[in-house]
Amino acid sequence: MSRVNYIVWGLLVAFGVFIVHESLDHNYYGSDFGPGPGFFSFWLGILLIVLSIIQIVMTYRRPAEPLPDGFIPNREGVKRILSIMGALAASLFLMNYLGFSLTMMGFCIFLLRRLGRQSWWLTLVLSAAAGFGMAYLFELLQVMLPKGFLGFI
Amino acid sequence: MEAFQHLMTGFVTAMSPMNLLFATIGCVLGTLIGVLPGLGPAAGTALLIPLTFKLDPTAAIIMLAAIYYGAMYGGTITSVLINVPGEAASVVTCLDGYEMAKQGRAGAALGIAAIGSFIGGTVATFGLVLVALPLTRFALKFGPTEYFSLLLVGLCLVMGLAGKSLAKALVMGVLGLIFSFVGVDPVEGAPRFTFGIAPLMDGIRFVPVVMGFFGIGEILINAEKSLTGVMADGGKVSSFFPRRDEWRISITSIIRGTGLGFFLGLIPGTNSAVASFMSYSIERKVSDHPDKFGTGVIEGVAAPETANNAYANAALIPLFTLGLPGSPTIAILMGALIMNGLTPGPLLFTQHAGFVWAVIASLYIGNVILLILNLPLVGWWAKLLKIPYNILMVFILVFCIIGAYSLNNSLFDVGMMIICGLLGYLFKKLDFPLAPAILTLILGPLMERSLREALSMSQGDYTVFFTRPISLFFLVLAGIILATSAWQAWPSAIREESKEAQV
Repeated sequence: MSRVNYIVWGLLVAFGVFIVHESLDHNYYGSDFGPGPGFFSFWLGILLIVLSIIQIVMTYRRPAEPLPDGFIPNREGVKRILSIMGALAASLFLMNYLGFSLTMMGFCIFLLRRLGRQSWWLTLVLSAAAGFGMAYLFELLQVMLPKGFLGFI
Repeated sequence: MEAFQHLMTGFVTAMSPMNLLFATIGCVLGTLIGVLPGLGPAAGTALLIPLTFKLDPTAAIIMLAAIYYGAMYGGTITSVLINVPGEAASVVTCLDGYEMAKQGRAGAALGIAAIGSFIGGTVATFGLVLVALPLTRFALKFGPTEYFSLLLVGLCLVMGLAGKSLAKALVMGVLGLIFSFVGVDPVEGAPRFTFGIAPLMDGIRFVPVVMGFFGIGEILINAEKSLTGVMADGGKVSSFFPRRDEWRISITSIIRGTGLGFFLGLIPGTNSAVASFMSYSIERKVSDHPDKFGTGVIEGVAAPETANNAYANAALIPLFTLGLPGSPTIAILMGALIMNGLTPGPLLFTQHAGFVWAVIASLYIGNVILLILNLPLVGWWAKLLKIPYNILMVFILVFCIIGAYSLNNSLFDVGMMIICGLLGYLFKKLDFPLAPAILTLILGPLMERSLREALSMSQGDYTVFFTRPISLFFLVLAGIILATSAWQAWPSAIREESKEAQV
């Protein structure tokens, strides 16, 4: 766990330094008497750095702890997480080209087969309901969803 | 008396057919969210915000509030029937509720939970009516100086009470504040942390962040493991009423649960899970048979369920009167109010009295609707539990995508939600509490504006925070809260080190 802690708190120190650096591009004090846009973020960056360094020192002083049970998912768990993240990322990139309905249908077919291990028949029915049914419901609620290259779905 | 006159006017608005319809839809959706494992009230409320975009503010908030307390009710059903809590506050209900279900008494467990929740919720709403106006009049004396100090108290409470590590809670609070500064500076109009990305000029919206943290993040956590439960007694639900001898015990438990839940609801930083756990532990302490807890005693269900619903309704008091959200779900409601052009706080009662009293009246109506939904229809809700989680998960993801997109018809928000989902998953794995980040993300702009206004008014004099009595009181309170939290964390660290030294 110590190595994980060093990485996490180290990343937070780096993020704090980045925030302080960025905040220096803005006025620390405004034209009137109040603080400027850089004031709050500068001190928050400093606070983040200080807190993270304290935690790094505390991690160094404590004996190494083992990783908690289940901290690293098993192989199947990792595959499932990667499938979900991959499907989400793919739908984000395909939405404008394929439109909402087709993208969501593909998204559901992939995940229902991959995670749910449902039959093809049920997968297709549920995916069509999620893609076209949701689009219809939200059209009723006057929410405009991307149409894609076909222009109507 | 004045409050009750306003409340009656509120009832007239809340009882209009459209508002009744939206309260009912909210209760149904809320119960559904509570029933579905892996989707808590925070994610559920955020997820359904897009449904309210085209509604008028009163109907929108009536529906969102109904979703919020409906989810509190719904979480019980899964706890009792399959030993899987629908949300954190129902974890403790599993202990005795599931045991009762195994003994063929699921109906009695769900019945007393619904009755207790109804009583707790109704009494807490009555408390809201009683304290709303006096508290509002007091809060109207606040200027930006006092408001900044008050927000600081709220944040200190949230950070002090969240999670096991104060440092992690503080870091999450700081990260939320930093993200809240993304966009155009409200005073000078200069872009901050936008890196030339046009959609960031509008700032980071809280809905994609909440959906990511609590929706996608939770799904990723659940995807690691299989989320299936064994339906106790085949999910059969018969008589909803406890035995005659159980009524007396249940009533006293409900009274204690109501008092505790109401009190905790007033304190920002606590959550409904704290209310239900504390209530369970008090019942065990005062019981004649503490050893029987966990074997299916009715007070083990009645007290925590009452406490978490009393909490849910009482937690609206600091939001409506002071503009101070105490939990992520309440912060989401606050965000929804702001999106509808209404700033929670004392001015809500003077500038939008019709709206706020209608929402309060709807809480009573919602509690009645939930009682109806939860008693006769519980068998129907139980059937939903037969849907495999792997299918539900896919539908929840689709809903998250639509929810994030429809916020501003922008795929950028969907991308933001996906990134926040991954971050939420990692933060959960690393035991970083998410609540402080959500609260500071919503409160950040208000805090910064108050601080800068206060300092502008005092011509840059920082002592203004210490010379104004109410502000000084809040600052001292904030200091005490942080010092107490640090003190509680410190001895355990020292103890650990001294133990190691001895070894």
